[in-house]
Amino acid sequence: MKTIKQLSIFLENKAGRLVEILDALKAENIEIQAAAVADTNDFGILRLITSNQAKAQELLAAKGILVSMNEIMAIGVESDTASFTSAVDKLTKGGVNISYLYTFQKDGKLVLIIRTDNLEQAEKVCEQSGLELIQGWE
Amino acid sequence: MDSKFWNREIETMPRPQLEKLQVERLKKTVEIAMGSKFYAPKFKELGITPDSIKSVEDIRKFPFTTKNDLRATYPFGIASVSLDKVVRLHSSSGTTGNPTVILHTKKDLDEWADAMARSMYCIGLRNTDIIQNTSGYGMFTGGLGIQYASERLGALTVPAGAGNSKRHVKFITDFGTTALHCIPSYATRLAAAFEEEGINPRDTTVKTLIIGAEPHSEAQRKRIEEIWGAKAYNNFGMSEMCGPGVAIECQEQNGMHIWEDNYIVEILDPETLEPVPEGEMGELVLTTLNREAMPLFRYRTRDLTRILPGDCPCGRTHKRLARFQGRSDDMMIIKGVNTYPIQIEKILMQFPELASDYLITIETIGDNDEMTVQAELKEATDDFAMLQNLTKEITRRLKDEILLTPKVQLVGKGVIPQSDGKAKRVVDLRQNH
Repeated sequence: MKTIKQLSIFLENKAGRLVEILDALKAENIEIQAAAVADTNDFGILRLITSNQAKAQELLAAKGILVSMNEIMAIGVESDTASFTSAVDKLTKGGVNISYLYTFQKDGKLVLIIRTDNLEQAEKVCEQSGLELIQGWE
Repeated sequence: MDSKFWNREIETMPRPQLEKLQVERLKKTVEIAMGSKFYAPKFKELGITPDSIKSVEDIRKFPFTTKNDLRATYPFGIASVSLDKVVRLHSSSGTTGNPTVILHTKKDLDEWADAMARSMYCIGLRNTDIIQNTSGYGMFTGGLGIQYASERLGALTVPAGAGNSKRHVKFITDFGTTALHCIPSYATRLAAAFEEEGINPRDTTVKTLIIGAEPHSEAQRKRIEEIWGAKAYNNFGMSEMCGPGVAIECQEQNGMHIWEDNYIVEILDPETLEPVPEGEMGELVLTTLNREAMPLFRYRTRDLTRILPGDCPCGRTHKRLARFQGRSDDMMIIKGVNTYPIQIEKILMQFPELASDYLITIETIGDNDEMTVQAELKEATDDFAMLQNLTKEITRRLKDEILLTPKVQLVGKGVIPQSDGKAKRVVDLRQNH
């Protein structure tokens, strides 16, 4: 499966928790490539793509932070709205249900991080419609 | 010694005979307590003498003894014998006032060790066991109390003491420890220490846990048994009565047999101090029958429990106490509703997504008392909706149990403060409390 690894970190509603996590990564020279936070008033989930996911997971877990690793899809498109729209359109028409999506810029390209319950279908759609699946930068 | 009982005669004594023994011992205890500056004048005033006692019911003529009495007479004011006969004392930490001191003669220590050895035998421990004690050795009775009893049983006893989980892991692994004595919250913490070393606690030699000194629910026991792949038995003791060895579950795991040759048991309404109808919940009040240095009469334990009706299939005739439902003095009154931390714990334990730590905070917001329950999440997830639904479901089930709606907060590890002693479960920030 052409997926990349994402870290999902549980954030309780506590001042300074995010800084604590970012500091821990900085101290080990782990670069953050993309981050997205989903939250309610009471808790949040921080999603991270870093330069070294395994190491990041290990050091956060050692600090007692609840962290899990999961598989997501990274699709590289040209950095313009038309390409972004076209990619999402292809996935939707291909029957891929997107749970959430966030983007970041990498080497002049736009990278779409997509979480879906059906990775196999997403992969098939990408291959058939010529969308580039990125398998990591590490 | 036969295969099932440490002391068959005492443990299976028919009730009428057991009560006769209690009367004899109560008379003897009154005689001893005539030597107490605290009790002698009270007995005189109430006309209590050894000869005035005819039946167990006569206990109701006696005055109550409270923790405040112990504090007010600190350190030796209740002693019934002169200090030359006293060989040891144990003491509480005294975080909320004078500490309390409990004195022991040589015979007291002997009887105590025997009672706790009987308790260990009752849950199937034998002299072939290797028993490791995780209680602190010092003023806390869980250290030496277990040590002497385990030695009396004839078991190889490892006095490892409190804290330092890594060392416990090493000892259990190296010595092949078969039984542990610990507080319930430490049972889960120690299991986590094993997992950190890459060892599944189920693969260890530990087959029995003696848990006590901290109220816990049936669900928490089940979880401990599941994690360890071992049997966990609820053990009750309190330093005022001696220490561990007052009551323990038998292998039926249905109520703790309280050793009635050593204590008279009353269950009273904490408000009226009248006996509750048989089988109903009330405050446990105990009178010592087999102690010399410092007998206590009608000691108000503040623990809420009830007597389980009927006979126990194990054959022991001593009454069984139900799992404690909290303490009459840790009852929280929130918006006029009486609530106990154990009710909240019972609900939280039903959620496999949660670890065992939690904290209840009560504060005044506006004119209202508001309760926040922080519950520790076991693992991270990428599923946001699951966490939202979990929060909702915990809130709903808590509301069904305690009849008010708490604010539920999921937290990660280490947010709830931990200590090596008893876990702190309630923080009351309300004024006038």
